[in-house]
Amino acid sequence: MQFYLPVAEMSANIFIFIAMGGAVGFLSGLFGVGGGFLMTPLLIFSGIPPAVAVGTEAAQIVASSVSGALAQWRRRNIDVTMGLVLLAGGIVGSFFGVELVGVLRRLGQFEFFVSACYVTFLGVIGTLMMIESVNTIRKVRGGMAIGMRRSGQHNWIHGLPLKMRFQRSKLYISAIPPFLIGLFVGLLAAIMGVGGGFIMVPAMIYLLRVPTNVVVGTSLFQIVFLTAVTTILQARLNYTVDVVLAVLLMVGGVIGAQFGVAAGERLKGEQLRFLLAGLVLLVGLRFAWQLIAEPRDLYSLSPGGI
Amino acid sequence: MCARLCRAAALGMTAMLAATLLLLGAGEGESQTQPPRKRAPAPVAKENTQGSPQEVRREQQPGARESVQADVSARTVSVTSSFNGTEIVIFGAVDNSQQPSAESGYYDVVIVVEGVPGRVVARRKNNVAGLWLNTSSATFDAVPSYYAVASTRPLDEIASEEFRASHGIGFQHLRMTPAFGQAQALSTEDLKEFRTAVIRLKQKDGLYVQDPYSVAFIGRSLFRSAIELPANVTVGPFTTRVFLFRDEKLLSQYSVRLTLEREGLERHLHSFAFGYPTLYGLATVAIAIAAGLLASTVFRKPAH
Repeated sequence: MQFYLPVAEMSANIFIFIAMGGAVGFLSGLFGVGGGFLMTPLLIFSGIPPAVAVGTEAAQIVASSVSGALAQWRRRNIDVTMGLVLLAGGIVGSFFGVELVGVLRRLGQFEFFVSACYVTFLGVIGTLMMIESVNTIRKVRGGMAIGMRRSGQHNWIHGLPLKMRFQRSKLYISAIPPFLIGLFVGLLAAIMGVGGGFIMVPAMIYLLRVPTNVVVGTSLFQIVFLTAVTTILQARLNYTVDVVLAVLLMVGGVIGAQFGVAAGERLKGEQLRFLLAGLVLLVGLRFAWQLIAEPRDLYSLSPGGI
Repeated sequence: MCARLCRAAALGMTAMLAATLLLLGAGEGESQTQPPRKRAPAPVAKENTQGSPQEVRREQQPGARESVQADVSARTVSVTSSFNGTEIVIFGAVDNSQQPSAESGYYDVVIVVEGVPGRVVARRKNNVAGLWLNTSSATFDAVPSYYAVASTRPLDEIASEEFRASHGIGFQHLRMTPAFGQAQALSTEDLKEFRTAVIRLKQKDGLYVQDPYSVAFIGRSLFRSAIELPANVTVGPFTTRVFLFRDEKLLSQYSVRLTLEREGLERHLHSFAFGYPTLYGLATVAIAIAAGLLASTVFRKPAH
């Protein structure tokens, strides 16, 4: 069944996009990630204009994170203070990101920039995750105990001013690092069409030393609000949110995620991380290939002014 | 009584045609003043026209000038949510046709359909340190969003190069002006290359079509052509120009408009997204939150 997408201005088979949402939803449920880093590339490769893919995906992430955030809220796993500081930075970052998308589109460099961002971040994160999960799998096989990370260790972050008490994280640190992390993730979220959990979570664990049980909830909490703001900004400044496409992806996504969660319960954490790392690297390689391989057509057209 | 009616109709038609020509052909020089053709009327094949008394009467004016009239199957094409491209039929008739039969190839017809002119940026990728990125671009103003040429024969057999150039008939004469104040100074060859690329890419998307044998005469005066509008066509007013030729001479021309309009849900969503972008963004977020909450309620596992 074909449906004419009002903003993407193209006729699309609705079942393909529902299936796409379902597949990504399954994987995001399986790995406990937002799935933006998979969905946006899929949309771009399937012919949706990159800027529309990025804008629309922000809306879909709102839908897929809301139920997760709510579940974490019920379990009291959200540090609201930390979430708000991250969000404040995120909104500033998102605003600049959305502006940057507009500028890059006018210069004709948006596609290149998005690809470069994907290659860089997916490459780095995928490699780190791969190393970590392989090490853990080896240790587990060798029968060694896995050391738990403890919070409260001091590093340079503790020397900064504007200290705040983050009760649930059991931290008393400066508000500047979480604000900056939020800003950076917000910037990336707007440009790459992702929630940014894959950067936010490691940053909170390794840089801020937030306890692991609070990290996922807090990250989801701020992703919901950040992607909501990003959606509104993209709609307002770039006119790149396609509500029909977003709904199709949501329908597939929320259903797929339920099956993914069920499947994920049968796998061990390090196995999941290993598979996820492989997936992340594959997507990164696909983008790298696009930058390196000679394009089929050297020319491209875009409507004037955009 | 009948004769008077016919005369009145003929007068009215001529006036309409003259007005159309005046509207269309400002500054077109000799092409709009058609010299009366002193051609011996072709032998009228009676059995072919027997079916239509009206037609017979028209044929009985020997030496009268031919004129062409045309229309499209739908003056308004609605782009709804289920829009997946459409076909429009352009049909027309030659008044005072002296063509002996539909197959005789006595007349040539060229139909040009053009969409809304708009600005287009063409970009070219180059390899920079191993990476492919857009390095040069050319901006063109007034590039028709859609352009189709249908004709009875290849264009170069129908009309002279000068005529095609002055009327923008055929891909090589398509009007496409480089925008004033380009981002980069481009040489003439570069511009030409970009121009070719625009036409090629538009052709690939089915937006530029040139079909030299797609206009067919059905009777001695009636002709038709079907033109495909793909799903990715831009909405707006379209102009359709119909030219009637005989031996590389323009006998008559006619113009008709058709409009592509967004309709129904498609129209509402589009005007919402572009007219009230903030509200539209908020609504999208509201839908997303509702979908997420709904999913978490529906799929919530019973407590065990």
